[in-house]
Amino acid sequence: MSSYSPESGVPEAAKQLRHELRTPINHIVGFAEMLLEDSEGEAHAARRGQIEAIIGAAGDILKEINTALPPTLSEPSDEDVRALYAAFQSPRERVLASVEALRGMPDVAADEGFTGDLERIREAAEKLAPPGIATAERESSRQATDADRSAENGRARILVVDDDENNREVLRRRLEREGHAPECAVNGVEALERVAESPYDLVLLDVMMPEMDGYETLDRLKGDPSTRDIPVIMISALDDIRSIVRCIENGAEDYLPKPFDPVLLRARIDASLEKKRFRDQEVDYLRQVDRVIEAAASVEAGAYDRGSLTEVGHRADALGRLARVFDSMAGEVRARETRLRTRVRELRQEIDAARGAGTVAEPFEGGQLQAGETFAERYEIAGLLGHGGMGAVYRARDLELEEDVAIKMLRPEFIADAESLERFKTEIKLARRISHPNVVRTHDFGEADGVRFLTMEFVEGLTLRDLIDSRGKLGVSAVLAVAAQLAESLAIAHAQGVVHRDIKPQNLLLDEEGVLKVMDFGVACLSERSSTLTQAGALVGTPAYMSPEQLIGEHIDERSDLYSVGVVLYECLSGRPPLDGGSAITLIAKVLGEEPPPLGELAEGTPDAVCALIHRLLAKNPNDRVPSAAALGGELSRMN
Amino acid sequence: MPRILLVEDNEMNRDMLSRRLTRRGFEVAIAVDGREGVEQASTGEYDLVLMDMSLPEIDGWEATRQLRANPDTESLPIIALTAHAMAGDREKALEAGCDDYDTKPIELKRLLSKIEALLPDGS
Repeated sequence: MSSYSPESGVPEAAKQLRHELRTPINHIVGFAEMLLEDSEGEAHAARRGQIEAIIGAAGDILKEINTALPPTLSEPSDEDVRALYAAFQSPRERVLASVEALRGMPDVAADEGFTGDLERIREAAEKLAPPGIATAERESSRQATDADRSAENGRARILVVDDDENNREVLRRRLEREGHAPECAVNGVEALERVAESPYDLVLLDVMMPEMDGYETLDRLKGDPSTRDIPVIMISALDDIRSIVRCIENGAEDYLPKPFDPVLLRARIDASLEKKRFRDQEVDYLRQVDRVIEAAASVEAGAYDRGSLTEVGHRADALGRLARVFDSMAGEVRARETRLRTRVRELRQEIDAARGAGTVAEPFEGGQLQAGETFAERYEIAGLLGHGGMGAVYRARDLELEEDVAIKMLRPEFIADAESLERFKTEIKLARRISHPNVVRTHDFGEADGVRFLTMEFVEGLTLRDLIDSRGKLGVSAVLAVAAQLAESLAIAHAQGVVHRDIKPQNLLLDEEGVLKVMDFGVACLSERSSTLTQAGALVGTPAYMSPEQLIGEHIDERSDLYSVGVVLYECLSGRPPLDGGSAITLIAKVLGEEPPPLGELAEGTPDAVCALIHRLLAKNPNDRVPSAAALGGELSRMN
Repeated sequence: MPRILLVEDNEMNRDMLSRRLTRRGFEVAIAVDGREGVEQASTGEYDLVLMDMSLPEIDGWEATRQLRANPDTESLPIIALTAHAMAGDREKALEAGCDDYDTKPIELKRLLSKIEALLPDGS
């Protein structure tokens, strides 16, 4: 097969134009000649005269075309094209006049086949009307075949609003032939009723009408949010510029003067429908984006309904993909939240039971400061909360900020030198940056009357120590609720470079809602050095919660806190620490060299996965533990 | 009765020409694009093909080449029809394998004489 192509090198515009003009002439001549054949005999002499006139006029049009567009012509200029159309308008009008004359003949009107062919001739003649539109538009309409147009537009629902019956009928038939689904209304009132009943793709609106004119109808259509987006093309015999401006300003898509040019009408209708289609797609897209945003909000509110994005998820584009991924993630989040809520509920039941049992140590009197006394000229002491390893802790009223705080006194021996003081200040500065619902906020570090102290958020509640002492073993769900909150607070602190170093039940506060708050971030650095093995005699408190590496004074990182978490959780479930000994030295030896008894044996009913996770936290080698608090949180959230 | 296959995508052209040929005693079948034209012509039921050149799917030039490449249809008479009426179109149509060429608007008498000339005797 050769690469011969008859199309190559042929100017597209000239070829298209020739095709466009000769095709309707072919129709006019062809149908007219058939009509002539059907009109033999004396009775039809008048018909034959008109039909011959049509054929003659079509021949004249063809001559003009052949003269203006000789087969050798390359590219006709816009001016050539305009001149050509102007040249054959007179014979074209003769065709239309003869068609009308034939239609007016009584015997013709009754002959359906004959009038059908006349209509085809008229339609063909109308295709030869001057384009009257910009070259670019003509090009595009020229390239779109009728089949293309109907495929693009589908059957658009178009409402024709005109009080003149003939006008309505002409438009209706024309639109039907273009492949649309036209309906009619006789005035503005009926138009508004119809539009309110069902949606239309386009409204063709006459201006001068009784009852409600086109201006008012347009205003009402554009003033109602439910009909605002329907494009409106005004059609009117009023072709003065002010009417046009007024309609466009009031929201009309376009304006066509009567008598309308059919080519222009078609081009404008197609353009309006195209715009509407894009707008509909855009509105639909934005509506579905809104659905995803709403879904995100409902996830936040804990009310996400799995599957509510199914429709959006059916889209083939990126939005559809987003919706599908979102739905699956949100469903998982919801399931995790439900699990967490159940756990916190059980934790609260444990807390309520502990309070009811009355075994929680009440704040006791007997500290150095008395209730009602003002400390550091700012804090009014309300009472002693307890004695920590470093000194007394008071509840007080901050008179400046008018809020309750806890004041932790620091015994002088903990800050013996300038180096310790600097180190402590640095740690506190870091700790103050942590802002999280699961962390007790550290406010200030100060000194008054030779006593250094820390102020922090006051939390009404009890410590995990109180809870364990009161309840013994805690339920699995309650422990998982503690674990999840503990992991989250540590993940935040670790991300900011703060290692707690002293995670133990005494430092974990639970408010009455079951919210866990970790105390004393940054404080432990003071006791750390004195709690190592090398200075075992000076150990502060119990080393039961310290990691092996912390006990022997090695460098520690966040995984040391995770070991401590393991001890706390083990104790919550079993009622006893994983390793204990009569003395500190025995305990330290066990922590360094002995495996804790299997948790499953001490805490019946605890799922194997939970036991395994806690034993991993208790690994001697930090590398064998869960790698981070965030990872621990992830594992906990996946546990059913 | 001679059987003619009219390959034409324009509905009004199809309607008009098929009616006119039927009136002249031909049996006319219709194909609406080049692909359908090739398929129908290959059934061997037709005495002649009137082939519009501007067709969707595959155009008349290509449809003609395909028919000429098929031993069953290589000698089936084909008349090219085009409204483009460009210089050299006739030569190109003949080169592509058409037996004759006519332009739209159709002059029925002229087209009929071309059809008669190409129809096999006795069909």
